[in-house]
Amino acid sequence: MQLYHYPFTAMASPCELRLYAASQALADAAADAAKAEVIRIEQTYSRYREDSVVGRINAAAGGAPVAVDEETCALINYATTAYAESDGLFDISSGVLREVWNFKLGQLPSPAAVTFCLKRVGWSKVQWDAPNISLQQGMELDFGGFGKEYAADRAATICTEQGIAHGLVELGGDIRVIGPHPDGSAWQIGIRNPRDPDVAMAVIPLKTGGLASSGDYERFMVIDGKRYSHILNPRTGRPVDQPMAGVTVVAPLCLLAGTAATVAMLQGEKGAPAWLNDMGLPHLWIDQAGVLGGDLVSP
Amino acid sequence: MSLNVKNKRALTALTSAALAIPGMSASVQAASVLTETVVQYKASAYREADLDSSKLSGGSLERYEIDTQQVRAQLPLGENTDASIEFMYETMSGASPWFILPGQDGPVQVMSGATIHEERKDLQAKINHLLNDKTVISVIAGVSDEKDYFAVNAGLEALYEIPDTQLTLTAGIGYSDDELEPTDGSILPDRIVRATRDSTTAFVGLSQILSKTTVVQASLSYSLQRGFLSDPYKKVWIDDQANTINDSRPDDRNQFVAQARLRHFLPDIQAALHLDYRYFEDDWEVASSTIEAAWYQNLPGGWVFTPSLRYYSQTQAFFYAPYFFSARGDGFGSADYRLSPYGAISVKLRLEKRWQSLDLHAEWESYEASADYSLDSVDLENPSLVEFDILSVGLNWRL
Repeated sequence: MQLYHYPFTAMASPCELRLYAASQALADAAADAAKAEVIRIEQTYSRYREDSVVGRINAAAGGAPVAVDEETCALINYATTAYAESDGLFDISSGVLREVWNFKLGQLPSPAAVTFCLKRVGWSKVQWDAPNISLQQGMELDFGGFGKEYAADRAATICTEQGIAHGLVELGGDIRVIGPHPDGSAWQIGIRNPRDPDVAMAVIPLKTGGLASSGDYERFMVIDGKRYSHILNPRTGRPVDQPMAGVTVVAPLCLLAGTAATVAMLQGEKGAPAWLNDMGLPHLWIDQAGVLGGDLVSP
Repeated sequence: MSLNVKNKRALTALTSAALAIPGMSASVQAASVLTETVVQYKASAYREADLDSSKLSGGSLERYEIDTQQVRAQLPLGENTDASIEFMYETMSGASPWFILPGQDGPVQVMSGATIHEERKDLQAKINHLLNDKTVISVIAGVSDEKDYFAVNAGLEALYEIPDTQLTLTAGIGYSDDELEPTDGSILPDRIVRATRDSTTAFVGLSQILSKTTVVQASLSYSLQRGFLSDPYKKVWIDDQANTINDSRPDDRNQFVAQARLRHFLPDIQAALHLDYRYFEDDWEVASSTIEAAWYQNLPGGWVFTPSLRYYSQTQAFFYAPYFFSARGDGFGSADYRLSPYGAISVKLRLEKRWQSLDLHAEWESYEASADYSLDSVDLENPSLVEFDILSVGLNWRL
């Protein structure tokens, strides 16, 4: 049984499949199927493509309902459940806020601009009556908040169906384990320190399940000495005040880990530790001062 | 609601929603209890095909008509417990086989003259309790009431997922106590007034997940029935007495059943294959085999189409004959077609439509029993072997 590596790019991120298989041919077949599935999900749910499911739904905003397939139904149901269970913090209609918080221009939006944009945000304004979905004029859906994690779970499932029992799927930091190393030992997952990406701040052993991280280190603005993260609260339309620097969650599915990490970030430095404890999933966080916490690091 | 409880419930809700996404995981039998209320209603109409008039000697040509309505509610009773209650109401009418006479071209059936109108009410309750994340125990109780028949039953079952394996073990015991007061028992001199019987059953089963797409199961059960096991409404013709005697069966019956099942899911075509085999044997010398195959095809739009085929073959009880030339030394005798040698083929078609909280289904079954279908050769076919069509419709509602 040998370890085969398949690096590739998808969903604007560096991705890699690490598969143990009895032969190159078996590993190649599984990798091809898994990569094809990741690309299929990327294309189906891309908001940049007019012919994708998301593209069609967004194009029909303000008009007639769009009927969606079984996979999309289940994903929208998942997003609906996440919206309800997070008190509206997880909201796949909040993507339009990026139009006002344009980090590339380095400018703060006016309060009026934010208020006006917020009118086009809110899952409760979406008419979802499976399998038909209808958005109000100006609203847009964005599956970017969970698409990569979903793709990681699907890629892992496909590898398992193709007969791979030991391996790992990584899509830009979102990880789903297919199975431990052939000797039963766990994969050692290094979590990058957001302030020093070449250094691991923690190593998490994982034999099964998924891992996802959310952090404010990638995109942010510093204006008048204040740091504005790109983590936007769908209820207020504004960036989270004093967010954690990073949150990592482990869950049986990468999709669940990702949702929990996203919502945890929205709780801010003050609320995240308690919220993560109560959620009951293994987790770690790092705050703006570089302090680590969570049950994955404490003994 | 405290944050702790709220978040735990949030995790459960999110996990359920995530697992509902197609292709997220294979579905397997697991230790779990319900988290939502489900109500089911089903109505069925059963119509037996009329007898062939060449096989009829007396009485009505018409056979049985049964209309059934069933309501079932399943409700969660807390984090680790759920309960289900099922109520069935059935009305039956028609003529029933009474006894068989030798005829010119083979045995002929005499049907009961009076058309029977019967009503049956049956109530069953079950409580499932999750002892830990690997074990479920269940308690069952029920009661069944008809004009001439009253029965109570109780049982205990357990399910255990063996750790570090893909095996699930199930076992159970059950007891039933039945009381018969045949109609007109006090009027007809040769019909019993009252009788009782009881039945004890034990079973053990094993289920193994072979892969993400395949599950196999095997089970064994043993059952002992004691008491009045004959049919108080049936008779047997004794030729050298030119008269009938009452249907008379031994007062105990030991039964064994062995079953094997395969469930295989084909994700590329969104279909599943179900294969079942059942073997039955008792100490009345009845032995039978059943093979059933069903194909569940998921279609776009929430439709499921399921054609299935079942083949059945049984041997006769040692005291069975359509009629006897002279009475048996042991005093037993029965002409009941259900103890005769025969085979049967049944074809079923089912169409189901699923929405978010509601499923609707319609099912048609066509059944034919015949000596020709039997695996062994049969000298004399029982003239009252059944042929029927059932049409049933039902709904499941998740509240």
